[in-house]
Amino acid sequence: MTATAKPVPTPARRDDTGNFVSRLISIVSSQEIILLFVLIALLASVGSANPRYVAERNFINIFNGNAYIAVAAIGMTMVIISRNIDISVGSLIGVLGTISGTLAINGSPIWVSWLVPILVGALVGAAIGFMVAYLRIPSIVVTLGLLSILKGGLITVTSGEWITDLPEGFFLAQMKTPAFSILGLSIPAIPSPIIIMFVLTLIAVLWMRYSQTGRAIYAVGGNAEAARLSGISEKRILMTVFILNGVFVGIAAVLWATQLSIIQSTVPPGLELQIITAAVVGGVSILGGVGTAFGAMIAAILLSAINSALVFIDISPYWFRAVVGILILVTVLADMLRRRRTAAASGD
Amino acid sequence: MAASSHPIEERQGSSPLTNILLRQEVILFLILILAVTLLALSSDKFLTVSNILNQGRLLTEIGLVALPMTFIIITGGIDLSVGSILGVCAIVLGYMWNPSGPFQLPLEAAIIVSLALGTLCGLVNGLIIVYIGVPPLITTLATLALYRGLAEGISQARSVRGYPEWFFQLGQGEVLGVPTQLWVLVFFVIVTAIILSRTVFGRSLYAIGNNELGARFSGIPTGLYKIIIYAFSGFMSGMAAWIFVSRVTTTRSDMGSGLELDAIAAVVLGGTSIFGGTGSIVGTVIGFVLIQLLKNGLSLAGVTTDGTIVVIGTVLILAILINNFIQRRTNAA
Amino acid sequence: MRKTLLVGLLLTTVLVLGFALAMPAAAQDRWDGADDLPVSPLECPAMDGEMAATDEPAAMEAPEYDGGQAVNAPDLAGQDIVLVDVPKLVGIGYFAATTLGEQQAAEELGNVTVTTDAPTEANIDDQIAVIDNYITQGVNGILFAANDPVAIAPVLRRALEAGIHVVGYDANSEPDAREWFVNQAEFNGIAKAMVDSMVAEIGDAGSFAIVTSTFTTPNQARWIAEMQAYQEKCYPGMTWLETVEAQEDNQLSFNQATTLLNKYGPDVDGLFAMTSVATPAAAEAVTQAGLCSVDSASAAAPSAEEAVAVVGLATPNAMKPYVNDSCVKSVVLWNPIDLGYAAVYVMRAVVDGEFGPGDTTVEAGRLGTLTVVNGSEVLLGPPFIYTAENINDFDF
Repeated sequence: MTATAKPVPTPARRDDTGNFVSRLISIVSSQEIILLFVLIALLASVGSANPRYVAERNFINIFNGNAYIAVAAIGMTMVIISRNIDISVGSLIGVLGTISGTLAINGSPIWVSWLVPILVGALVGAAIGFMVAYLRIPSIVVTLGLLSILKGGLITVTSGEWITDLPEGFFLAQMKTPAFSILGLSIPAIPSPIIIMFVLTLIAVLWMRYSQTGRAIYAVGGNAEAARLSGISEKRILMTVFILNGVFVGIAAVLWATQLSIIQSTVPPGLELQIITAAVVGGVSILGGVGTAFGAMIAAILLSAINSALVFIDISPYWFRAVVGILILVTVLADMLRRRRTAAASGD
Repeated sequence: MAASSHPIEERQGSSPLTNILLRQEVILFLILILAVTLLALSSDKFLTVSNILNQGRLLTEIGLVALPMTFIIITGGIDLSVGSILGVCAIVLGYMWNPSGPFQLPLEAAIIVSLALGTLCGLVNGLIIVYIGVPPLITTLATLALYRGLAEGISQARSVRGYPEWFFQLGQGEVLGVPTQLWVLVFFVIVTAIILSRTVFGRSLYAIGNNELGARFSGIPTGLYKIIIYAFSGFMSGMAAWIFVSRVTTTRSDMGSGLELDAIAAVVLGGTSIFGGTGSIVGTVIGFVLIQLLKNGLSLAGVTTDGTIVVIGTVLILAILINNFIQRRTNAA
Repeated sequence: MRKTLLVGLLLTTVLVLGFALAMPAAAQDRWDGADDLPVSPLECPAMDGEMAATDEPAAMEAPEYDGGQAVNAPDLAGQDIVLVDVPKLVGIGYFAATTLGEQQAAEELGNVTVTTDAPTEANIDDQIAVIDNYITQGVNGILFAANDPVAIAPVLRRALEAGIHVVGYDANSEPDAREWFVNQAEFNGIAKAMVDSMVAEIGDAGSFAIVTSTFTTPNQARWIAEMQAYQEKCYPGMTWLETVEAQEDNQLSFNQATTLLNKYGPDVDGLFAMTSVATPAAAEAVTQAGLCSVDSASAAAPSAEEAVAVVGLATPNAMKPYVNDSCVKSVVLWNPIDLGYAAVYVMRAVVDGEFGPGDTTVEAGRLGTLTVVNGSEVLLGPPFIYTAENINDFDF
């Protein structure tokens, strides 16, 4: 409880002995495992009460529904690990999604309308990073200000007109892999957001674990002073983190914009809270230095599963938010107790 | 990033604390004067007594919540659940009183229950933060959802209306020509300012924000103090709920949503460091007054709401930027 | 550890308290999302199935005028006036359309200037602050669509006291806080049109679920209550499954609609969508799930058992793809452009002193003569039903 952000166990510790599998397991530290169990338990219990909950269609929908949140949560994970926060992501997703749709209906090639939001996201990220790293404005202040600017600016520019008549082929998030069967096992069509979510998360987890820069993020978040002494440029790392966050937000925005035939060119309400919730429930310590993108992804899926389950098990929808709040508390409490026990066991 | 109990790396040089505080407030005050001058030039309706007093009515709820938020942020914490506590308190106030509801308490009793519930909600935040060691940001993120959920669950989306006439005095009436709730705000501003600057308790909050471990070793009951300020924050959200219901004459479960960001913006704009350790009530007051006057003045000058929030976002970033810049200059000198 | 227990205990107390408080309230026989105000279902349609929307406007005895009056309003008959329009929020297509109608009316009249300004989220507190600022600024008239009928009342009364004319549209306030309210279509009329349209597609023994914005949104709550009353009266064989909330967020609406489809599978025959955001999203969910009841006998077309009908309130542009694919057969709505247009005309007539308490009709430009109902409401007309035949004629 004295909590001088001492990461226990240090995720940045590299064990060279184990084989790839055991390493993979150690990447996935306990919070992720707990979440995975909770997710499986939820799927199993609600599924046994109502088999349609885990039927193929709903199962895929649970994974698909929050995929864009999971992608944005990868960036948020890095930001929070570096002891910062970004509360402008929801507004940014609205803005970038609108940019994407506007380009598409004005005749840009499809790939341009997918790529530009990601680049703009990176630019905005760079601007945030610059203000945080070089001008030393706390990230919560920068992004609180930016949230207002983006939200107000978007309405000023679009006056709330929806974007319709999007060209065929724009809808990245509606694309699916072909269904096929192999060895008598029929593999259903997987929507692209699920694949994008898994691939990006895997890349992020490996990069944060094994690349020098990736590990430096943990170092900066865990103990900036020590990181500085060991020759890591905190400023450069923060810039990298915010630019990457912008890229992930950009990808999330494209998924968000291409999911439906209409783009509602406003800021999705409360989206930033969902993304931050996914990251912290996924085990990213707000004290910095701890957490993985994998946990954030599981958490995003879990939130989606809960949302779906609440409809399935006939809990009055009036109670949905209370349940989400309890869920966050319970996972975090479990994590705190586990960490304290680990700390006690290692005689800390 | 608010790290509840983390020693701060970025301490400003060696200049005395009071010196910095003075400077920050002076800068802010100059910004406020500048803004008021510009706004007054762009609309002759702006700088009138009735308009300014009327703005007092509109900023009271944010102001009441921003005061304990200043305490909390000075200790390096944060409270995101204030808007939700306001919501649940408003709902419970109406629900307890509702003449066709299950409790049918006298309105006075319902108000007391509501304030007690607000305090309890804040107390729960504080206990989780202190005794279990969950960082304030996560704790209050969770209770943000939880308390709002309780408000929705209890109310079942029904609003309660038809309060007796006397109840509206607080939110709509005037005392000596000044909106009633402004007196309440002024009272709490004075009380909190004195507590923060003149008492051992207030001094201790800075110590906690600067170095919690150090503060504990020097004999400050850090846990107790933190619990007290979170409970106080809950109480003040309850007060804000009471005034809000009285002002708008109805209760709805979505009341106060988004209030937390407004309050935090006011506190941060007021020069309180989000890392803890520095800040003042005077700064916060200037902060929320500045935001309210900007909203009002820009509107009177013909800027629409969406344009206004762009300006406020920009001012927030610029004000902190200027502050940082001047401080670094001062420290270098 | 004792401390942890203490915290747990307290948390439990709060929760138990919360749930205990809620239990008595939970016992109610209205559908989720319906309010508890009295309902007045319209007559059931005649046996031939013709949809005569409001054939008898219930003009038994006209109720007394119950609106308020602007105090000492300056006489500006025929002179230039400045109006402000404060809808629930800016940033959704629906209010962009009402704004367009207001501008059209202002242009036609030539002596009216109207600015639209509203919060970016449907938030009562922000809406009150916006109106407050315009009272100070000193406009001649305020048009509003209330986020909450009661909460907005005090500030509107202040406007009346300051000699500012106040006319509402889309979402009403307490009657005495404004002079007139332009009612787009009566709640029971909308409810009837919605339910009748649904019955036309799924028959009078089908099951349906509802996607709404939030349970606290007054208009939606009213419609749902009236739909329940009308369904129980005219089609007792139908089954309401459940109501889900989806804010004003199309992604969430899509997810909620998809979840409903997955939950009930072949047991759900239709979805009602109560907002202009939820309706296209529900149509999208049905389309992406491959459950459209397409007429053309394509290989992938679902059987009649599985197909799900969508009936909802929406603006035509957002619905064109689905209606043209004949995935959605009918969209219920009044014309929001006309609504904004009528509001400005009513305001002009009030300012000119041509329209006041006791009057039963008002002239509204291209819309002709509108009638007064319920004391102080101006009725725009029966709800309009967009179908594949006419939807392409509209562009908003």
